[in-house]
Amino acid sequence: MLVSTRINETYRLYVTAGLAGAMLLLAGCATAPMAPTASLNEAKLAIQAAERDDASHYAGAELDEARQKLILADKAVVSEDMLLAERFAQESTVTAKLAAAKTAATKAEAVNKDMSRGAEALIEEMQRAGDQQ
Amino acid sequence: MNTPSLNHARVAGMIAVTAAVSFAVAGCATAPQSPQGSAEVRSKLSVLQSNSNLAVKAPVEIREAEAAVLLAEQPVGTDAALGEHRVYMADRKVEIAMATASTRYAEGQRAILSQKRDQARLDARTREADKAQRQAAALKSETNAARASAAEAARNSAELQRQIDLLKAEATDRGLVLTLGDVLFATGRSDLKPGGNSTLDKLVVFLNEYPDRNVAIEGHTDDVGSLDMNQTLSQQRADSVKSYLLQQGIRSGRLLASGMGETRPIADNLSASGRQQNRRVEVIIKNPQSANSKASTN
Repeated sequence: MLVSTRINETYRLYVTAGLAGAMLLLAGCATAPMAPTASLNEAKLAIQAAERDDASHYAGAELDEARQKLILADKAVVSEDMLLAERFAQESTVTAKLAAAKTAATKAEAVNKDMSRGAEALIEEMQRAGDQQ
Repeated sequence: MNTPSLNHARVAGMIAVTAAVSFAVAGCATAPQSPQGSAEVRSKLSVLQSNSNLAVKAPVEIREAEAAVLLAEQPVGTDAALGEHRVYMADRKVEIAMATASTRYAEGQRAILSQKRDQARLDARTREADKAQRQAAALKSETNAARASAAEAARNSAELQRQIDLLKAEATDRGLVLTLGDVLFATGRSDLKPGGNSTLDKLVVFLNEYPDRNVAIEGHTDDVGSLDMNQTLSQQRADSVKSYLLQQGIRSGRLLASGMGETRPIADNLSASGRQQNRRVEVIIKNPQSANSKASTN
């Protein structure tokens, strides 16, 4: 009884140590350089979406900045600074989204201007017609 | 014995308090600071949040921005790059929230704008309809006026005819010719007989009624006597009629008196009755100048 318990305890200790070692190794592998692919893809998609909305016309500066950030992210990947790559990718995404949001705002404003111009033109026309009487 | 130990405890307590205070002070001095730029982003977000028109338009985006700003405000110690990254992200998210809110605000305004435009359109149509109605009314009143003036003209011409009938004047190309027989004058005399002027009084009434008509007064004689004498007599008789009309208040500018002598007989001078017919004064009431000129311009 007593012997078998001791053996079990020793065995457990070994297993635990082995597992811990394996986990440590795995953790070591995880911190090894791995490109932030998901973030990079997200940035690319966000830029493409902004481009589709014609952001180059309405929010050219923001779209350009998003592209620059993506280039910086790619460079950071090359130099294996994955933390920096991740940050640049995130910054690229958020700036591309800002370009799209600004584009939408400008377009919405333009539509409203058209509408109010239409009403104003009508009112003006009526006044002119009224003056002619 | 008791006193020193008490003193000892007091000193120990004081030291502890002092230490705690100095710890607290030290804690304040080295209080973790928010990264540079985070205050600006916070105030940018506050501006958006305090804009009651915009804040309600993008609640999700504002919440995300708020989270990003809170993160950016976390102290990062010596990792300045992390602080910069977080501030950048927060700033972009605040701007996204602002743009999104203004897009939705603009979209919300469209209902009002299209209402305004519809109202303008409606006003335009109402105005057009009113205008058409006014024009129709104006046309109608013009027609009525024309009809009224035609009726007036008809009435006037009927009245004129009545007056002409009253005068027993004869309508000719020269105008209305009113012949005053020699009964008005004694033979060889040019002054009007008193009391024989009812025909002339009717003429005065007529001329007062129609102030636009001028009058030519022509004296005529028979062939008894010399031409010169008849010429003079006819002129004098025409002048007599003219001066009578002047006395009655007719303007001299409307009256032209001339003697025709014996040159225009209307009957033969062989019989007494023929000669009597030839001894006469003709009053020619001329057609109004204005009516003629109007007719020529129309």
